[in-house]
Amino acid sequence: MANSDVKPKSISRAKKWSEEIENLYRFQQAGYRDEIEYKQVKQVSMVDRWPETGYVKKLQRRDNTFYYYNKQRECDDKEVHKVKIYAY
Amino acid sequence: MVAEKETLSLNKCPAKLPTRTKLLAQQPLPVHQPHSLVSEGFTVKAMMKNSVVRGPPSAGAFKERPTKPTAFRKFYERGDFPIALEHDSKGNKIAWKVEIEKLDYHHYLPLFFDGLCEMTFPYEFFARQGIHDMLEHGGNKILPVIPQLIIPIKNALNLRNRQVICVTLKVLQHLVVSAEMVGEALVPYYRQILPILNIFKNKNVNSGDGIDYSQQKRENIGDLIQETLEAFERYGGEDAFINIKYMVPTYESCLLN
Repeated sequence: MANSDVKPKSISRAKKWSEEIENLYRFQQAGYRDEIEYKQVKQVSMVDRWPETGYVKKLQRRDNTFYYYNKQRECDDKEVHKVKIYAY
Repeated sequence: MVAEKETLSLNKCPAKLPTRTKLLAQQPLPVHQPHSLVSEGFTVKAMMKNSVVRGPPSAGAFKERPTKPTAFRKFYERGDFPIALEHDSKGNKIAWKVEIEKLDYHHYLPLFFDGLCEMTFPYEFFARQGIHDMLEHGGNKILPVIPQLIIPIKNALNLRNRQVICVTLKVLQHLVVSAEMVGEALVPYYRQILPILNIFKNKNVNSGDGIDYSQQKRENIGDLIQETLEAFERYGGEDAFINIKYMVPTYESCLLN
């Protein structure tokens, strides 16, 4: 999946919260488009996730610092529209 | 003798104060009015007939205690913590420079708890958020450190500052659920933690039918203490209730009955 340079073709905004949006929100907080870009940049095959909820747990940012996320939902309804969905 | 003296003085008065002579002459001789003497309780003075005993001074149970410089502040200013502040749209966040899993909990967790005494930005934020992250991701590394956390917790509560108590109570609630057996491990230390909770347990605002906004913001100390004690009881095993009851006699079980 993680080809060397996949460029997104289109972008849209999230309208409603879902688990996918929650994870995208977490990636975008850390400064990545989504999981695909994260795996490209960091050259990793797995992302740390909470076993209970499946949400992203830990991300390494571009400056090599770490962001840790909660077990529960972090993306409030008022934040949902800020999440960008990239299509390839 | 006394009467003689008084008449004497009366006779003298008209010369000095002509306006008041009439009044004095018409009135019966004033009975000697002992002016009351204010004195402390349990002194010789207090036993005199004319003494009025002053009430005891307030013990200052709710008075805030002065803060001392914390080790957390020193370490932070020296740059010893592997943390950085990130501002984002939602507020602030900690960016960890090393993985939390690789941190030495025996060293860092007590230090962050020491920071609970802080009331100013950024120390207060780092302590609160750092503890949150470390508890959330600590797993089984938290349990062995519990004994070292008690003194910082006790110090923070002993400050009796409303804001500090609020934060500390929320941290305690997080702590008991952070890993298995942590609740049980805290039971022997109730003697250190609970006295302050006992003092503030009834600190609720009686606003009649008005709205107490601190409830909405989860800053009402009375409610937070009740929640914390219930969390202690739920996660503290079978000995928890009796130990809580010993330190906080007004606490009623949320599990029994």
